[in-house]
Amino acid sequence: MTKRQKRMAAVLLLLVGLSVAAVLGFTAFSKNMMYFQTPSDIAAGQLPEGARIRLGGLVEKGSVQRGDGLVVNFSVADCDANLPVRYEGILPDLFREGQGVVAMGHMEGKTFVADEVLAKHDENYMPPELAEKLTTPDGKHSCAQFKSMGG
Amino acid sequence: MSSWTWFHRLASPPSFYRLADRLAPWLGWLSLALLAYGWINGLFFAPEDYQQKDAYRIIYVHVPAAALSLSLYVGMAVAGFVALVWRMKLAESALIAIAPVGASFTALALVTGMLWGKPMWGAYWVWDARLTSELVLLFLYLGVIGLWQAFEDPRAAARACALLAVVGVINVPIVKYSVDWWNSLHQGSTILKMGKPSITAAMAYPLFASLIGSYLFAGYVVLHRLQNELLLREGGTAWVRELMGKSRV
Amino acid sequence: MSAVLAILTRELRLALRSRMDWLLPLLFFVMVVLLFGLGARPNDPVLAGFAPSILWVGALLSMLLTLDRLFRADYEDGTLEQLCLAEAPLGLTVAAKLAAHWLLTGLPLVLLAAPLAVALQLPAAGLPALVWGLALGTPVLSFVGGFAAALTVALPRAGLLLPLLVLPLLAPVLIFGAGAVRAALGGLDAAAPLYFLAAVLVLCLTLVPWAAAAALRNAFE
Repeated sequence: MTKRQKRMAAVLLLLVGLSVAAVLGFTAFSKNMMYFQTPSDIAAGQLPEGARIRLGGLVEKGSVQRGDGLVVNFSVADCDANLPVRYEGILPDLFREGQGVVAMGHMEGKTFVADEVLAKHDENYMPPELAEKLTTPDGKHSCAQFKSMGG
Repeated sequence: MSSWTWFHRLASPPSFYRLADRLAPWLGWLSLALLAYGWINGLFFAPEDYQQKDAYRIIYVHVPAAALSLSLYVGMAVAGFVALVWRMKLAESALIAIAPVGASFTALALVTGMLWGKPMWGAYWVWDARLTSELVLLFLYLGVIGLWQAFEDPRAAARACALLAVVGVINVPIVKYSVDWWNSLHQGSTILKMGKPSITAAMAYPLFASLIGSYLFAGYVVLHRLQNELLLREGGTAWVRELMGKSRV
Repeated sequence: MSAVLAILTRELRLALRSRMDWLLPLLFFVMVVLLFGLGARPNDPVLAGFAPSILWVGALLSMLLTLDRLFRADYEDGTLEQLCLAEAPLGLTVAAKLAAHWLLTGLPLVLLAAPLAVALQLPAAGLPALVWGLALGTPVLSFVGGFAAALTVALPRAGLLLPLLVLPLLAPVLIFGAGAVRAALGGLDAAAPLYFLAAVLVLCLTLVPWAAAAALRNAFE
């Protein structure tokens, strides 16, 4: 092979490698790599009992009920569906109704049993007076914060 | 050829040293003014947030530190690329001048993020894509510093570090876009978001001031480190001897 | 192509003559994994939950042990300098050496992983994901490790520096490799992290030989 041919072969190899890696990478990303589910994902698909996933959504207005001890029942909703959640433990300060949460846990029947609940805040910063003006009447001012994964 | 003379002049250590001498005080004072405005206003006078109350004020440190951790890494990798391709001594020195500064800002971003995460999310640390990739970034900086220390010959050290820095640059887009690619607990970008503003002006101006101030501060520190690095490597050459002789008088 | 084959057979023949060099890391891997079993409560179900991370970390550590010698002997006796000057592209030569390294240190780990996982009481549902993950991930360990070894080949005390260079670059492989097993155990589809590992593997196969070759050339300047 001449020097020129060698260089062409090297460039070709590089391009083939990079495109194969890109295809595999996109396949991985389209398959929900982090096992992140929204309530509508769970309503739509069959999730095996006991599988550990991350559930994301907004705490539904008026759904938080304190039980015995540290047990809390609430419901997590996204734009289309909602899901009852049970959690025993201390909730973060920012946890409140209408607020985004990410919960780790598994399904037990129709209920999501969380072993960890983290509060997610959005990327908006504004004084309370302004926030009141911007909030829609049902309190869902940022349900797009959690997008459902396709595929 | 004539259009490249400025580039060659800039790349020569003595003229760069003199340029840095003139530039550094400007950066230093300007950054001091901006940081003073940004932090005093941000910490005391900006209104409190509707969700996070006063806790959000850590963005005035956290956001500049996090932005710098990425920008400095890119700067380091670009210096590394230039050092590898054009064998430019100035770029070799720049690479190692940047590394500890970048590592410090990365550590600062991680620590302030943890302090913010505990009250807001409910956990100091979450094994989440944004946090993990930022931690990897810190280790990459430390790897470059460790590799630099291990070599005796500065030129071989610089080229090895340059390779590592260039390979590690793959992590930068992962840090930047992790919040979009994976449903991260970390909130999305506020400042670089298109469309409707998501931070009110009274909060945003101090944030921009502290952001620019921090960049200027980083520039100031890197310039000084770069000057020292040049003196160390060029010690014994005529221009360093001349400079030292002058300063002794 | 013949140069690549020549390097590959040379590496394997050398390995046959000094068996301890690649048998000891394997033994180390087995012992680390079994020590976790011994250290835990007998038949502790918690151990099965940690089994993916134990096996992956064990593979990572045993690979670290072999890195320091990867280019060292060839560097010291001058072979490496000859390879740098040879007509065959150094990138291909490096790829052949790294492939041989994987055959000797990575492939046995993949084969040993299943019986060891059973010893750690990993349920059978997780085994395919574990073995597939290691089969895709151990070559990445060899290639990324090879890059770090090439960077430090001229340094007398590289052994202490290698973990710092290698471990952060390999963190994603470990996260998704162990994550695939955990997903499979929970009855979820483990394909996504395995596809990710495959993407990382192809990326490494494409880019690392050239980066490592540049690092080796640096050692001779």
